[in-house]
Amino acid sequence: MTPTPFGGRIRDSEDVEALVTDRYLESIFAAHARGADIAPVAVDRRPDLDVRLAATRLAHDLPRFHPSFRFEEALAAKLLEMATRVRLPLAAGGEDVVSATGAPEPYDGYDRYLPIAAIGDDGRIRLLGDPRLAIGRPLLVGGALTSAALSIAGAVYVAWRFRHPQSGAMARAVRAVARARLA
Amino acid sequence: MARPALRRVGRPDEGAPRLAHLDRDRRLVEAAQADPARFEALYRKYLAQVYSFAFYELRDHHEAEDATERTFLAALGNLSRFEERARPADGEGASTFRVWLFQIARNAIAERRRRQRRRPETSLDAADAVADPLDLEATALRHDAATAAVQAITRLPGDRRRALILRFVDEMSTREIAGVLGRSEGAVRVLIHRALRSVARDLDDRPQ
Repeated sequence: MTPTPFGGRIRDSEDVEALVTDRYLESIFAAHARGADIAPVAVDRRPDLDVRLAATRLAHDLPRFHPSFRFEEALAAKLLEMATRVRLPLAAGGEDVVSATGAPEPYDGYDRYLPIAAIGDDGRIRLLGDPRLAIGRPLLVGGALTSAALSIAGAVYVAWRFRHPQSGAMARAVRAVARARLA
Repeated sequence: MARPALRRVGRPDEGAPRLAHLDRDRRLVEAAQADPARFEALYRKYLAQVYSFAFYELRDHHEAEDATERTFLAALGNLSRFEERARPADGEGASTFRVWLFQIARNAIAERRRRQRRRPETSLDAADAVADPLDLEATALRHDAATAAVQAITRLPGDRRRALILRFVDEMSTREIAGVLGRSEGAVRVLIHRALRSVARDLDDRPQ
């Protein structure tokens, strides 16, 4: 931004380009949320080709990571233990209590299939799903898994997650994998 | 991304009810504030996002797990002081809880990074992850694409890298990223634009 003589600021060309890029990214993510690969964007509202290609590759190829289910459950147990300790002063009227407005929102749909992989004890990452089905970006499951147990752990994880539904894009992806395996 | 819910709120002093914005996480946050055991729903919802952010930043899954654990324990411990303030203008699915949680995560990650610097032996894991972050038993093409994307991200300087991770991995809005990084929305837009240019040059130099 460049200062004006009146104290205001005008947009530099880079600010304008950055705004165009921002709008473009919004349209990409909105398209992905609809299950479409390509976002229809007017030619005069597109950023440069190199920026578009970089954005497309990152949106498609950048993996998401998930910790191991062993870690997830261990931390859940720690949080529950901590919650129990916090709950006692609440029950004694020690702090303000905000009334709940109801149960969590129900699960709102499924994403496209995403492959699953894991981070082994050696720190390396291996794909757990069928690579021929690798559409969309990878979801990588990390944690204390031995190399030999990776594929078994992947199947166990999927089965376990199927019984422990959660909301969010990554959770939907895991359930989609489970459905694909069951089909 | 889920749309923010709107609920009707009766106003006895007005003829028609008004629509009040109900943030995506508001009910979960209020439930957890009333009963801390219900924090689990927020934990399950954001675990993978926080862990992903930590793993990209720390490049070691043990360190990432540690930062993730500290983040959620601190969030639960301070939840009674948190107030959800997302407004309709913040965009679809906006959540100030997520911004608050990622601010905690950012601090936890910074603390782990300081420890990594003090204990250089732990950087060996990180070096491995950078050198070969994806040892996939998948097709070579997919392996190369994912590896190139991860490496392009990890070569970026601090806030550019963080902005791209939050944008592309956690799919945060510009406004949310601005909240997490403590910058203006305009500054975040420019950060992301410059980061994408850097990534484009990087990927050009290392064709798929």
